[in-house]
Amino acid sequence: MVDRYPGYDVLAKRNTVSWNDKTRAVIDQRMAIDPDRHKFFGDREWRTLCAICARIVPQSPLRAGTAPLAAMVDEKMHSNSGDGYRDARLPPMREAWRRGLAAVDTEAKARYGRRFHDLTPVLQDDLLRLVQNGDVHDKAWHDLPAKLFFQKRLLHDIVSAYYAHPRSWNEIGFGGPASPRGYVRMNFDRRDPWEAAEAKPGREQEARAENAHVG
Amino acid sequence: MSRAEPALDLVTTATLVATAAAMLVRPRHVAAVARSPLLPAAGRQAKAAARGLARQFAPPAPQTRLGRLISSLWPSPAVTQTAGRRLNASAALLSFSVLADSAVQHYRGSFENRAMYTPLAVGALTLGASLFGMTDRRAARHFLRDTIYAVAAVSGLTGLGFHAYNILKRPGGLSWLNLFYAAPIGAPMALALAGFLGRGAEQVRDTPPFRRPGLLRMPAGRTLAAVTAAGLAGTVGEAGLLHFRGAYHDPFMAAPVTIPPIAAGLLSAAAVCPGRAINHLARWWLRLTALIGFAGVGFHAYGIARNMGGWRNWSQNVLNGPPLPAPPSFTGLALAGLAALSLIEEESDG
Repeated sequence: MVDRYPGYDVLAKRNTVSWNDKTRAVIDQRMAIDPDRHKFFGDREWRTLCAICARIVPQSPLRAGTAPLAAMVDEKMHSNSGDGYRDARLPPMREAWRRGLAAVDTEAKARYGRRFHDLTPVLQDDLLRLVQNGDVHDKAWHDLPAKLFFQKRLLHDIVSAYYAHPRSWNEIGFGGPASPRGYVRMNFDRRDPWEAAEAKPGREQEARAENAHVG
Repeated sequence: MSRAEPALDLVTTATLVATAAAMLVRPRHVAAVARSPLLPAAGRQAKAAARGLARQFAPPAPQTRLGRLISSLWPSPAVTQTAGRRLNASAALLSFSVLADSAVQHYRGSFENRAMYTPLAVGALTLGASLFGMTDRRAARHFLRDTIYAVAAVSGLTGLGFHAYNILKRPGGLSWLNLFYAAPIGAPMALALAGFLGRGAEQVRDTPPFRRPGLLRMPAGRTLAAVTAAGLAGTVGEAGLLHFRGAYHDPFMAAPVTIPPIAAGLLSAAAVCPGRAINHLARWWLRLTALIGFAGVGFHAYGIARNMGGWRNWSQNVLNGPPLPAPPSFTGLALAGLAALSLIEEESDG
């Protein structure tokens, strides 16, 4: 994948006036999440969750660092901090995840004779596609609408976790929290010196040089 | 494009970049320069300029009956010289305001258009010429100062065109939103005013002994009063627009839209029908206007401190908060008004 913001590290702003103590505390907590620790899900659910996360947002081992998606979703369930809204056709967040993960696993066994995390990536994708289209009929789903679970819970929580991680901000050139320093050049195509510099094709070195001074 | 332009552009850019880079990379060296004997020398010059300014505020020496009689017949050279230097001081304050404000705001605009360096170069030249004029004891007009003031007047008017274009080219054209957030329409006028008042200063200084100073075929006092009143009206409009954008959240934000208009009105009245009482009142309102120009800097500094992160977060708040160098424009215009008033008094005495 093309690195559009070469050399940009949002964490370089940590000790500048861009961030205050509260911002530092929140981001430190997020960076300290142990990728292998799970407090809410049981071992069985955890394995399924890890395998699903790896298929929804595959993270290249070549890139520096990975976002601990499964642990971030687990943390969200553990603290039970919801989004402030929920599709009423789905059960509450925690229950939806528990039942959904169990159903995905049971569906895998019923169709392929193996648990979800033991399937090949191709079969995992096939199964997830069936869930996405609502084409799953194992009775483990019961009254949980598979299509909605995929769209409003599984995709929503995993992708949100991915883009809540500073590592992903580097990838998309997001400046991170604008607290207390925000933006002063707010017109189109303007950039503050503390924002990521985007590389125009063939001019990567210029962007890299500018990104070395973001702070 | 003439040869001089790229060279000037290069010099101003290099100076700005070098200063900014030095402050960022070698703050200690900048501090060392600040402590070096170079600056006390500059300080002494500034003190001399301030003393020159203070002397202009001093009450006139008591005159003898004969002297009074003579001065009632012809304006004394001292009056034209004082008024001239006071007008130089007014141009100095206005150009300082323009220089500092455009430096901050055009930096914010990333100097996208090369013409955005103009007010920095012209403002600095005008400030230098005005400080020279304030300390120069010779009565006569100075060719270089006069030329710089003419350049300032032309640049200010050109800037007005650029700012109007910036507003009109945005989606929505001439709308409140663009008047609030695009290039401020009134700002370049301050440079033009510095030019007008500076040229006025030079012409008043150049008055031959015992002749009445004139400007644009009118008595100089009246012309200057008209220019100053118009300038005050424009500056009030600008402050009114931007303080309205700030929702007048602080009662003191009403000060620059209430006090200077009265000063402008009284000055105009004094120009049309001068009298002891009206002159006296106009003088005090102009002094009050000069004062709020200084007080405004304090209020704006407080406004910056009130923003999230306060002064520690200066790189955000100096750019995004209330403009620190804007209010002294009122002081500059009030000084011009006081100079105009003293010329009017001189004119009406005869």
